[in-house]
Amino acid sequence: MGIALQLLFTGLGIGSIYALVALGFVLIYRATNVVNFAQGDFAMLGAFSMVVLCIDLELPYWLGILITLVAMLLFGALFNLAVYYPLRNRGFQPVIISTIGASILLENGVLAAYGPRPQTLPGFFSSQGFSVGPIFFDSQYLLILGVTTVMVTLQYLFFERTLLGKKMQATSQDKEMASLLGIPVATMIMLTFIYSSALGGLAGILVAPILFVSVGMGSSIALKAFAASIIGGFGDVTGAIVGGLALGVVETFGAAYISVPYKDAFAFIVLVVFLLFRPQGLFGEKVAEKA
Amino acid sequence: MPLLELENVVTAYGKVEALKGLTLHVEEGEIVALLGSNGAGKSTTLRTISGLIRPRSGTMRFLRQPIDRLSPGAIVKLGVAHVPERRRVFPGLTVRENILLGGSNRARASRRELETEAEQMFVVFPELKPFANVLGWKLSGGQQQMVAIARGLMAQPKLLLLDEPSLGLAPLIVQQVFQIIAGIRGHGTTVLLVEQNAHMALSIGDRGYVLETGRLVAEGNPEALWNNDEVRAAYLGGRKT
Amino acid sequence: MSGIVSSEAHKPPTEHRTGQGRGLLMVFTAAMTVVAPLLLPITAYYLNLLMQASTYTVAVLGLTIVLGYTGQINLAQAAFFGLGAYSVALGTVSFGLPFWPALFAGVVIASVAGAVLGLTSLRLGGHYLAMVTISFQQILTLVLTNWTSFTRGPDGIPGIARPIVFGFSFADNGTYLALCVGVLWVVGFCVGRLKHSKLGRAMQALRDNELAAGVVGVDTYRTKVIAFTLCALLGGLGGGLFAGGFTYISPDQFGFAESVVFLTMALLGGARSPFGAALGTALLILLPEWLRFLKVTYLAVYGGAVILLMVFMPEGIWGFLETLRERLWPPAVLPVGRVAPLPLTTQVAREDDSTILEVNQLSKHFGGLKAVDEVELSVRRNTVHALVGPNGSGKTTLLNVLSGIYKPTNGRLFFDGRAVTRLLPHERAGRGIGRTFQNVRLFTTMSVLENIIVGAERPGNEVAVGSTGVEHYALAALDFVRLAELRKQTVQSLSYGHRRLVEIARALAGSPKLLLLDEPGAGLNTVEKSELVQLLKRLKGHGLTILVIDHDMSLVEQVADHITVLNFGRRIADGPPAEVLRNPEVVAAYLGK
Repeated sequence: MGIALQLLFTGLGIGSIYALVALGFVLIYRATNVVNFAQGDFAMLGAFSMVVLCIDLELPYWLGILITLVAMLLFGALFNLAVYYPLRNRGFQPVIISTIGASILLENGVLAAYGPRPQTLPGFFSSQGFSVGPIFFDSQYLLILGVTTVMVTLQYLFFERTLLGKKMQATSQDKEMASLLGIPVATMIMLTFIYSSALGGLAGILVAPILFVSVGMGSSIALKAFAASIIGGFGDVTGAIVGGLALGVVETFGAAYISVPYKDAFAFIVLVVFLLFRPQGLFGEKVAEKA
Repeated sequence: MPLLELENVVTAYGKVEALKGLTLHVEEGEIVALLGSNGAGKSTTLRTISGLIRPRSGTMRFLRQPIDRLSPGAIVKLGVAHVPERRRVFPGLTVRENILLGGSNRARASRRELETEAEQMFVVFPELKPFANVLGWKLSGGQQQMVAIARGLMAQPKLLLLDEPSLGLAPLIVQQVFQIIAGIRGHGTTVLLVEQNAHMALSIGDRGYVLETGRLVAEGNPEALWNNDEVRAAYLGGRKT
Repeated sequence: MSGIVSSEAHKPPTEHRTGQGRGLLMVFTAAMTVVAPLLLPITAYYLNLLMQASTYTVAVLGLTIVLGYTGQINLAQAAFFGLGAYSVALGTVSFGLPFWPALFAGVVIASVAGAVLGLTSLRLGGHYLAMVTISFQQILTLVLTNWTSFTRGPDGIPGIARPIVFGFSFADNGTYLALCVGVLWVVGFCVGRLKHSKLGRAMQALRDNELAAGVVGVDTYRTKVIAFTLCALLGGLGGGLFAGGFTYISPDQFGFAESVVFLTMALLGGARSPFGAALGTALLILLPEWLRFLKVTYLAVYGGAVILLMVFMPEGIWGFLETLRERLWPPAVLPVGRVAPLPLTTQVAREDDSTILEVNQLSKHFGGLKAVDEVELSVRRNTVHALVGPNGSGKTTLLNVLSGIYKPTNGRLFFDGRAVTRLLPHERAGRGIGRTFQNVRLFTTMSVLENIIVGAERPGNEVAVGSTGVEHYALAALDFVRLAELRKQTVQSLSYGHRRLVEIARALAGSPKLLLLDEPGAGLNTVEKSELVQLLKRLKGHGLTILVIDHDMSLVEQVADHITVLNFGRRIADGPPAEVLRNPEVVAAYLGK
C-alpha cells in the first residue's frame, strides 16, 4: 500500500511535467490549428539552459531560472516568426513538417554545441525531502507539483477572467471574426507561442534535476505530451492536464510492476488504445459540425 | 460630406470578378439597403468595405479618408463595424463575453466601461438577458443574430455594416430585429444593410441600391424600387435568358 | 512514365512515337546503369555510397506513394526500413535462412505493420497519423535497443550473408550494387505507372480534394490504408537490401532521425514524382560527403533545410522544374477526332416515372440550429426536379445529407428502392448518385480528362473495365459538354464557367441514375447561364433524372418539371412550376412580406 502511494506521488510529479508540455502544445493547437512537434524541445532547451547557466557558468539557481525563462519567452517569438508565420496560410501539413524540421534543428544544434554526453543537474534544494509515514516526499517533486498547480490556476484565471484571455480564446475560435472586431490576431498568436514556449521551458527547468539532461529528452517528453492531449481530448485544456497526470501515473506504475526499459512504450500503448476506442478522449470536443 | 464613398470598386476572387465597378455612397444618419439576389455581390461589397478583401481597383473613402489598403482592425478602429453573414458568434464564449469583445476596437475604454455598456445591451435586447451566461453554440439563430448586432454596436461605430440579418430567422424575430435596426439610427449610427428580404429592408430604409452579378442596376427611394418591375424580376432571379 | 495512358487509335502519330521513344530511352538507361557496376572499376567507397543511395531511394519511393500521391504523412519510414533490415539480418544470422526468404519475410512484416498502423489511425486524420507514426518509430527503436536477447541490442548484427541465386553469389559489391539498381528500376517503374493507374488517380484525387473524391466514388479510407501499406512495403524492401549490402546493421541506423532524412529526401527532390525521389536521395547522400566539414551539424542543417523547403520550395526540385515546364510549354488545346456519343441512362424506359429518390421526414440539426426540419421529398425518374428557397433555407444542407456528407439527425432516405440513409458518400456514388458542388471542387493537380476519368471509375459503373474503355467514356462525357479539346489542360487554367462544365462532365462520366446539381448557375454571367440552361435541357432530353438546387427562379422555371420550396428548413410548397411560382407563401419567402 505504501509503495502504491509512493508511486502515485512520483507518478503525479512526472505527470505534471507532461501536463505542462501538453498544455503548451494544446494552446498552440487551439490558436493556430497546428500541431507543434517541437514542443518537447522547448523543455529540452530549458533544461540545457539551466545546465549551461548553473553548472558551466556557476550562476545561482534563481538567476539561472530567471534568465532561462526570459530566454524561452524570446525563443517563442522567434519560433513563431521563423517556423509558423511564413506558412500560416498553407494548410496544416507543411506546418507539421516544418515543426519537425525545427525539432531536428534544435536537437542537433544543441548536440553539436554540447556533445552527446547526458548531463546532470543537482537538485534545487539542500534538503532531499521529508517522510510522512511510508511515503517519502521528494522536494523536487513537491516543487513540480506546486508550480504546476500554481501555473494551471493562474492560467485558468487568465483565460476565464481577463479580457486578453477572452480575446485569445476568440482568436482560436474564429480568427476572421476576431479580426473584424479589431482583435489583433497576429499578436494573439504570437502571445500564444511565447507563453507555450515558456511553459515548455519551465517544464524543462523543473525536470532537469530528475532526469538526465540529454538531447533526446525533448522527443521523449513530446511523445508523452501528445499521448496526454489525446487521452484528455484533443484540443481540450483540462483534458491535457488530466491526461498528463494520468499518463505519468500509468507510466510509473508500469515501470515498477511490469518493466523498466519499456517505460516509454506505455505512452504509445495508451495512445493506441484511446485512438481505437475513444478517439475523442476523455473530454472530447463537442463543437457542433461546421455547416 | 458623405460618410462612405465607393467609386468603381472591382473585387475579384481569383479569376472571377464579383464586383465589376461599383459606385455608391452613404450619408450620415441614413439607413441604406443593398439588395439583390444570391450571388449578386452584396456580401462581397461589405467584405470589401470592412477590409477582409482587398479591391483590385477603384477607391473607397470613409469620411474622405481612403480605406482601400487598410486592414480590418484599422477599419473598425475608424468606426466601421461589420456584422457578417451567418452571425459568427464565438461558439465557446458566453453571450456576455461575445458582446464584451465587441468593444475590442476601442483602445481607450476600460474594462469597467465596457462591462457597463454590455449590461446596457441587455436593455436593448431583453430576450438575451436570461441567456447572458450561455455559450454561443447553444443559441438559436435569432438569439445569435441579436448577440451579433449587440456585439457590433459595442464598437460604437459611426457606420454599421449588417449582412443579411434576417437570414434563417422566423418572421416574428425578423420583425423584432428590424425594429432594433430602425432604432439604431437614433443612437447616431448610420447603417448599410445587405438583405435578401427586400420588403423588410425597404420598409426601414431611406434609400436602396440593387445589385445584379456585381453591377448596380437600380437605385432610389423605397417606393420607386418596390414598384419597379425590372427590379422585381432582377430580384427573384436573373433576367430571363 | 509520362503522359496519359491513351489508346493507340486515338493519339495522333507523333504523340505515339514520342511515347515509344521515351520508353526506349528509359530501358536503355536502365540497362546501362545496371551493367555499369559490373564493368566499371568503382572504388569500394563509391560502391558503398551508391548502394546506400539505391536502397534508400527504394524506401523514399514509398514516401512518394503515401505523401506525394496520397498526401498522408508517414514519419516512421525508418522503422519499416529497420523491420526489413532486421528481418534479413536476424533471418540469415540467427535463423540460418537464405537471403531471399529472409527478405520476403521482412517485406511481409513491414507491410503488415504498415497496414495495422494505417487501419487504426487513418480514420482520424493528419496530425493523429503523424503522432502515431512517430510513436511507432520510437517504440521500435526502444525494442531494437533493449530486447538484446533477440535483436542483439546496440551492438548490432554483423556478418549478414549476401544472396545466392542458382549458385551465383552476390558477394562481390559490384554485383550486389547491380542487383540493387535493378530492383530500384523495377520499383521506380511500378511507382511511376501507379500514378496513371486507377488506384493512382484515386490517391491523387483524395489528396487534392478528399470530400469531392469521396462523393465521386473513391473509397478514401481504403485508399489511404493501401497507400500506407505500400509505403511500408517499400520501406521494408529497401531495408532488407540495405542490410544485405552493408552486412552489418545496428539500431541507431533506424531511428526517428533517419525517418526525417527520408522525409527530407522526398521533399527536396519532389514528393510527387519517382524522379524526385531519386534526385532528392542522391543529393542528400552525396552532399554530406561534399559538406564533410560540417560533420556533426549536418543533421541540424537537415532540420533547417526542411523548414526552408516548406517555405520556399514545397514541391521540391523536380516539382519546381515541372511547374517551370508547364509555364513555358503549356499543354496544347488539342482538336479531337470523332468521339462516340455518351450513352446516357438507357436502362430506364421513357415512360417510367416511378420514384427514384424518396426523402422521409428528414431533419438535420446543428446544436440549436434546425437547418433541415422534417422535409419530405419525392423525385421521379426522367424528370428535372428543382429544390429552391432563399439563402439559408436549408437547401445545401439537405443536399449534403443526400450525398452522405452529413448524417441526418432524423429521417430516412430511399434511392432506387433501397435504403441509403447510412451509406458513405462513395457507396452512394456506387449506387448511381452523381453530384456537383456549389463551389466547384475539381482535382487541381490533374488534367481535365484525368478528373473526368476519376468520375468514370466510380464503383459499379458498367463501363468497359479496361483503361481504354474508361478513357473513351470520359472523353465522351467531356465532349457532351463541348469541351473535348481542353482535355489536356490543367484545371487552374480554365475559366470558372468551364470548370463548372468539367465538374458536370465528371459527374456524367459516372453514368448517374440521379444527378444532383448544387447551384450550377452560381458565379456564371448571363451568357454562361443561358448555355447552362441549354445543357440542362439536353440532359433532360436524354432522360437523365436531375435534382437541381438553385435560388435563381428564372433558370429553374425553364427546366424544372417539379419544384420543392424550402424556407427555414421546412418545405413550404411542392408541385409543378406554374403552381408553385404563384403560391403567395413562396413569393413572400423570396421578396419578404
